[in-house]
Amino acid sequence: MNNLILLVVLPLLSAFLIPVVAKYSSQLARMCGPVVLVFILVLIATSWDSIGVESFAIFLGGFLPSVGIVFYIDHFSLMLSALIALMLLVVWPWNDYVPARLYSLYMLLGAASFGLVLSADLFNLYVFYELLAVATYGLIAASPASKTNSSAAAVASLRYLFVSAAGSVMLLLGIAIIYTMTGTLNIAYLATMTDQLHGMAGLSAFALIAVGTGVKAEMFPVNSWVPEVYGTVSKPLVALLAGLISKLAVVLIIRVLLMMFQQPEALQLLLAVGILGVISGEMVAWRAKDVMRMLSFSSIAQLGLIFIAFSIAGKAGLWIGLALMLHHLLVKGGLFLLADKMNGSFESLRGFAKQSPMVVALFLVFILSLLGIPPFPGFWIKWLLIMTLAEQNGGLYHYAIGFILLATVIEAAYLFKLVRILFQSENTKPKVINNENKLIYRYAQIFALILIVSMAFISPISNRLKDMASQVANPQIYIHTILQSSTQTTQTTGEES
Amino acid sequence: MFINFTIEGILYFGAISLSLIGLFGLLVSQNIFRMLLALVMFEAGANLILVLSGFRENGIAPIFLGDNVGAIMNDPVPQALVLTSIVIGVGIQALALALIFRVKKHYGTLNMAVIRSKLEEEIATQAGVAPPGSNQAPEAVENVGELK
Repeated sequence: MNNLILLVVLPLLSAFLIPVVAKYSSQLARMCGPVVLVFILVLIATSWDSIGVESFAIFLGGFLPSVGIVFYIDHFSLMLSALIALMLLVVWPWNDYVPARLYSLYMLLGAASFGLVLSADLFNLYVFYELLAVATYGLIAASPASKTNSSAAAVASLRYLFVSAAGSVMLLLGIAIIYTMTGTLNIAYLATMTDQLHGMAGLSAFALIAVGTGVKAEMFPVNSWVPEVYGTVSKPLVALLAGLISKLAVVLIIRVLLMMFQQPEALQLLLAVGILGVISGEMVAWRAKDVMRMLSFSSIAQLGLIFIAFSIAGKAGLWIGLALMLHHLLVKGGLFLLADKMNGSFESLRGFAKQSPMVVALFLVFILSLLGIPPFPGFWIKWLLIMTLAEQNGGLYHYAIGFILLATVIEAAYLFKLVRILFQSENTKPKVINNENKLIYRYAQIFALILIVSMAFISPISNRLKDMASQVANPQIYIHTILQSSTQTTQTTGEES
Repeated sequence: MFINFTIEGILYFGAISLSLIGLFGLLVSQNIFRMLLALVMFEAGANLILVLSGFRENGIAPIFLGDNVGAIMNDPVPQALVLTSIVIGVGIQALALALIFRVKKHYGTLNMAVIRSKLEEEIATQAGVAPPGSNQAPEAVENVGELK
């Protein structure tokens, strides 16, 4: 079981070996990343069953908690790791010539993401979060949408760096406050002393962590970078950032929330930023005149929806949030991959349905699920979210229902406005698609296929997610796994508990 | 009450002020190089707060403790943490400087407002829509197509 540490070690190792290997053979350097990722997928698949209901902890270097570093592994973190490896394989730059350092950055991003979902120590989370941030700055600056606007990508990266680095400092401040209050940074220990963390100081620490991490999660007040970055970088990278990286930041927030701050004030804070994100995102998306801008702001709104789901206390909120996360990963990831073929202003897309009906059909599948039209998975998730919100008592939760419905109406208005333009036949000038990338389009088709197939398996999938959520939502399992196994091992080594 | 004039209180006051000055500078300044300097200050303040969490008045470094087991000692963990975060901070500042260098070379200015409007213009033209805030009607793009 301890070999799961390779999830972090191998990508990190390959990230630093790739530039050296590339000096001798660029072909070998290109293959290095996918080989590592496939190996990681195999590793996850083989250890999936052996974990079962029990979760598992790795003590790095044999040092026990309160001194050592712990990795915590359950089905949730394994599933996320598998998604990271799959998404990286999807966006891996295969065909065009790219410099070797870009491969390094992708592998660095992978290592940081795996570390982020596995780590059970606040400071480690911070370090992996920073590593993730640095890798994204580099990737954004190095992969412009077209050759001509490479400096625009650098500007977008710089502006993103300022927001994100300020967020990281806030995360560090939050961690410093928690350390001052409790004297430990191990999440399992912190989960046993939640009563110390209640009150103003604890809440401000949570707010700092949530806002600091929220930068990557496109949270409401700190998402000014979203349209700039998504508008300037290549579409596969956008799919990775919007689909996966934003979710990883959300995972960090909910780990902290579930283990340490399961209190009404923290939940209300999350609910408020969620509502504001949904409304502001949809409003701006409605005014957008081109596809990328529309999709960027709609992505902000979707993440607001995820925050609303996680603000519901207990297991119910968690599993709806998980479902929303997976759905958004699939739909938004697919839409951004599809945008490689279908971008530009709405006007230039007039009559696009006649030109390439298959692309428009895929687009329709994605947006119908995004809106929540009945047979698609998106409907069930939105339905469950609204029903669960209605069960909560407390004013803001009920207002949230109204806001979600209003946002859905706005969303429908702008998406169908675009659909109407797509099916108009006044334009005789066919849209020129300059950057033809067959593979990306193929992946978009696969995403749509997964979405359609998942319609038939709604109930088994939701049962799986419920099991996963009940495992994640229970701090006792977390505490038990990390502290129990440490006491068992300490019996031989010493008196430390 | 707000500041108790112990050495610890004064140090905390200094650290928090430093990070607030940094945050303020980051929010209000228009020059991207100054923004970077403000970020450095913000980070320095946060690092000071982190290292202060292990500070004990009259405490000594644990390595000098010797046989004196009961003595007050400074917590070494935050010192280790702060070293890590300083190193991370330096890396990010270097990266930001490299990006600033590239931006300055291309746009010839360090003013964030100008750079931002140019960026928005570039995104808009790439997407084929009128830049935000301009009077140019979006139909203009279509007319060009008809002329051909």
